[in-house]
Amino acid sequence: MRRNPLTLVIGILLIIIFGLWLFVFQVRTTEVAVVTTFGNPTRPITEPGAYFKWPWPIQKVWPFDKRVQNFEDKLTERQTRDNFTLLMAVYVGWKITDPAAFFPKFISSDDPIKEAERQLDRLLGNAKAAAIGRHSLSDFVSAAGGGTNFVAIENEILSTLQSQVRSNNYGLEIEFVGVKRLQLPQNVSQSVFDRMTEERKRLAEQLQNEGDAEAQNIRSEANRKAQEVLATARGKATEIKGKALAEATASLSVFKQNPELAIFLLRLNALEGSLKDRSILVFDQNMPPFDLLRGSATNWPAK
Amino acid sequence: MSNGIDMNERNHSHDESPELTAPADTPVDAGSQALSEALRSSFAIVRFVMIVLVLVFFASGFFTVGPAQRAIILRFGKPLHGESEQALLGPGKLHWSMPYPIDEVVKVNISGIQTVESTTGWYAETPEQRLANIEPPAPAGTPLNPLVDGYVLTGDDNIIHSRATLTYRISAPLRYVFSFVNASNAVQDALDNALLWAASQFRVDDVLRHDVAGFQEAVRRRALQLIQQQDLGITVEQCVVQSVRPRQLKDAFDQVNSADEARGKAVIAAHAAENQITNQASADARSIVALAQVESDQLVKDLAAQAERFKDILPQYQRAPGLFTQQQLSETLGRVLTNVEDKILVAEGADGKPRELRLLFNREFTKRAP
Repeated sequence: MRRNPLTLVIGILLIIIFGLWLFVFQVRTTEVAVVTTFGNPTRPITEPGAYFKWPWPIQKVWPFDKRVQNFEDKLTERQTRDNFTLLMAVYVGWKITDPAAFFPKFISSDDPIKEAERQLDRLLGNAKAAAIGRHSLSDFVSAAGGGTNFVAIENEILSTLQSQVRSNNYGLEIEFVGVKRLQLPQNVSQSVFDRMTEERKRLAEQLQNEGDAEAQNIRSEANRKAQEVLATARGKATEIKGKALAEATASLSVFKQNPELAIFLLRLNALEGSLKDRSILVFDQNMPPFDLLRGSATNWPAK
Repeated sequence: MSNGIDMNERNHSHDESPELTAPADTPVDAGSQALSEALRSSFAIVRFVMIVLVLVFFASGFFTVGPAQRAIILRFGKPLHGESEQALLGPGKLHWSMPYPIDEVVKVNISGIQTVESTTGWYAETPEQRLANIEPPAPAGTPLNPLVDGYVLTGDDNIIHSRATLTYRISAPLRYVFSFVNASNAVQDALDNALLWAASQFRVDDVLRHDVAGFQEAVRRRALQLIQQQDLGITVEQCVVQSVRPRQLKDAFDQVNSADEARGKAVIAAHAAENQITNQASADARSIVALAQVESDQLVKDLAAQAERFKDILPQYQRAPGLFTQQQLSETLGRVLTNVEDKILVAEGADGKPRELRLLFNREFTKRAP
């Protein structure tokens, strides 16, 4: 049987596919890789895409995750500058940036990422100790200052760690460092509790006194206001009466036409008003109209 | 594959090669003819299956994206349309990619709300205790073991427990998935840090009583800031913070609370008294003014009436002043004397001198009076 061209094409295709499988590899966008030639790292790859290599056993590809890894260390105990003991745990975001540098340092381990974190933990211990020792407790916790010292301490740890990682040439980059936990030793927590209890007692007393004083203030202020309102009202009443008098003067002018009569009428009114009820009147017989009785009564003693 | 090739070969030779048509004329026995028939038909079936398989292979490149998903195509591991978030494929369309290993479709769930909780500042509790909202007992005098119970330090060096829950949506899926091994861990770390940072500058009473919302806002702002700095690709929906005093100091804190309550009550009572006093005062004030008004009106009216009467009387008086006054006086006296209860007329003595009359008033006098 003669070979026809289609068979040939398909055969070649198969060979190409097999060849690609042997000679080409991919680096994903989340990865970096190192190509080793007979075990020596010869080509670091940091950009994603398809790349050529010689088939195993000549060349081999070692991919590493280049995404940010989260690492948390354990609580470690350190003295602050003013001799308080603090326990601190931090978290670190780091990633592999230089596979060529990373590879020789960590590839001997089963899990290079874990091994790298062990190294980071060691460096971190020193960086934390240095940072805590440089600061006093009030730099960590303080109601004033807006937490800037706290951030400054984190930045100190970050920059120390960064420079150490760089000088060790681990092929890593530290993205961020933050304090995750900040605690006191067990026995210190008890003395803090004792102090807090004292503060609570003082505060309770203070609140009670404040309450009494405030209530007292409100009451006396209310009384003062009441007096003020009444005084204003009395003033207004006087004013009204004054106006009324002024108005009445107009009427008084009428009486000027004959003051004698006016006075007589007023006296008459006064007399009537004063003897309105329950009164006893004692007078002698000279008073009109009783003078009419003089000498007329039979029981009158004779003159 | 090799079957397909063979089959093609055979078909070619059968249909197109003139050399191979010749043997068909040569007589063959019935058995081998039947075999060749059978082979031919089975080749046809195999060919059909092959074509279907090839179709399926290419059709497998079609994919859709769920409503709560976004997808991106990686060609040889590299994002096909760049790494910007606009390059993401959304739902509602049929997409196609080359088959693996050329292309790889990565789908990211952006659905719903994700939640992380920070408990590094909270005491140790079992899920049952948490569900039932029961504080694990810790009598006064028990110190806190930092390896067991979490807590935060406040700005005035107090110990309190505080925990935070942050809910978020993924707003930049590529960043969230391609830049972090575990982005939700990073969010949680940021939240832990935010809680610690915010507590370190708040006073204990502000966190627990006076400025609960302010503390929560400080945690939220710090978490947002860290999330932005680290470019985690998320949008924060909500941040809820819960804080309590140490269980060991329950009594001491309760005392302060009840003192605070008592203070509030005293103030409320004082305000009630204040209301009463001022209301009474303004009522009194109103009646004072009203009374003055009434009295004044009365005065004016009285005088006006008197003036009116005076005008009427004046002509009569002027006609005969003596007579008029006598008449008025007598009239008045007559009226007055009817009103007067007791009238005592003292007559002149025999010697023409006034008599002396002595009166003794005592209490009974007023009492006896009807």
